[in-house]
Amino acid sequence: MDKISIPIGPQHPLLKEPLSMMVDISGEKVLGGSLRLGYVHRGIERLAQQRTYVQNIHLIERICGICSHVHTTTYCYAVEALLGIEIPPRAQYIRALMCELERIHSHLLWLGILAKHIGLDTIFMHTWHDREMVLDIMEEVSGGRVSHAANQIGGVRFDLDAEHDKMIRKILIKLHSQVEGLLDVIETEPAAMARTKGVAPISPDLIKAYGVVGPVARASGVDVDMRRDAPLPPYDQLEVKVITHKDGDAWARTFVRVEETRVSLNLCETIIREMPRGDVVVRTPRRIPAGEVIIRSEAPRGELFYYLRSDGSDKPARLKVRTPTLAALSLLPVQLSEINVADIPVVLAGVDLCIACADR
Amino acid sequence: MTPIKLEDLCAEIKTKAGCQCEIYDGVLGDQTISITPDQLKPVIDVIFKTFDYYHLSAITVQQRKDQPDEIEVFYNFWSGSGFSLMLRLPVKSAKLPSIISIIPGADFYEREAAEMFGIEFTGRSETPPLLLPDEWDQGPPFIGEKEKNG
Repeated sequence: MDKISIPIGPQHPLLKEPLSMMVDISGEKVLGGSLRLGYVHRGIERLAQQRTYVQNIHLIERICGICSHVHTTTYCYAVEALLGIEIPPRAQYIRALMCELERIHSHLLWLGILAKHIGLDTIFMHTWHDREMVLDIMEEVSGGRVSHAANQIGGVRFDLDAEHDKMIRKILIKLHSQVEGLLDVIETEPAAMARTKGVAPISPDLIKAYGVVGPVARASGVDVDMRRDAPLPPYDQLEVKVITHKDGDAWARTFVRVEETRVSLNLCETIIREMPRGDVVVRTPRRIPAGEVIIRSEAPRGELFYYLRSDGSDKPARLKVRTPTLAALSLLPVQLSEINVADIPVVLAGVDLCIACADR
Repeated sequence: MTPIKLEDLCAEIKTKAGCQCEIYDGVLGDQTISITPDQLKPVIDVIFKTFDYYHLSAITVQQRKDQPDEIEVFYNFWSGSGFSLMLRLPVKSAKLPSIISIIPGADFYEREAAEMFGIEFTGRSETPPLLLPDEWDQGPPFIGEKEKNG
């Protein structure tokens, strides 16, 4: 049968953000594909060199609309490492709480998109309803649903009071039972299993060769998680259960993310319970001493890499950001080969694409 | 996953690739060794064969204001802990061997380094733009105007 090339994107119902793919098919089989990024490239690394360290927090928060907080957290830890300061323990715990809430809402958002792609609209509605509860917490404590502006150099901008504490505990209990139900669905629902089991498996060798990180790597049995392996405070004091699976298929990627949501809910409870009292910010100088630093953190989609160099002025000399989606995207053309056309949405959803992160 | 020991890596590189590498202690966070551009492929080959698990986190490139004639390139790896290879290239003839035959995941990072810093990667067919528009004609955005225009 003749080869046909189908363009998908940059605007397509399958995609929530712009990405251009050319998929080669023969009959119902996908032979391979290629990608073109850059439709939401904003030149953020270059812009960061023209703004002060403080102004850059605002800029970096806008790299992504889903994991905005982990970006500013990683950036602030990098600046604080160059300053040689440690932020107050309470600020560390608030940063981690927001990171885990972000992971929960990111994973729930992702599960909803997958469910929508495979025709499980009820699950889509449930997950997005549950995600709203997490966004409610984030809005209540920070004032922002998407861009939380929680971080500043030297700590965080807000403290939690007894009312926040009560509200968060109440919502976490509710979310626990909701996520139990979701796990039950993906483990028993025949339609969900049929659309994901055995679809587009990725071997650990491919994960290594393409530098894929996060839940996609862990679903292929690669036991890596920066919260445990390169812990930023307070993860060095928290026990992070790393979820892995050996199958490497779309179902394993679903299982890992839903289990990780449970782990994050438990972490949120621990953080709330063990949150130390005290200040949430320390005063810091505006000029950052000359030096260079690499900080890795675990974003919802995996290892987030920041390189920051200061030449002693009030603006970074170089800021390099490598987001986890960029690594996963490089494997996408390989994943697309030898699958059925109807499985393209499942493969795309399985990667948990964040194009804004990849493009920067 | 056992974190890598830099001394072990240097010894392994010396034995298997015959390269002498120097420890560069300028970067907080990652252990870094300094190599020359011609050592890049043999050293990465050793890394690939030595460690059970690692991944290439990023290729970080920069042009320092105090050394405008050079480009500094870091290959940032992870294997239980972070480690990087650092090398320097002249801006006007920035050439490096491509490593995508060993690490296919380096493709996007090489393409980004090519369009943003003008590095030519040899041994691969082409480096099509990754992030910049096809019609971009203003040269590598991260290279200073003086060095860009000669």
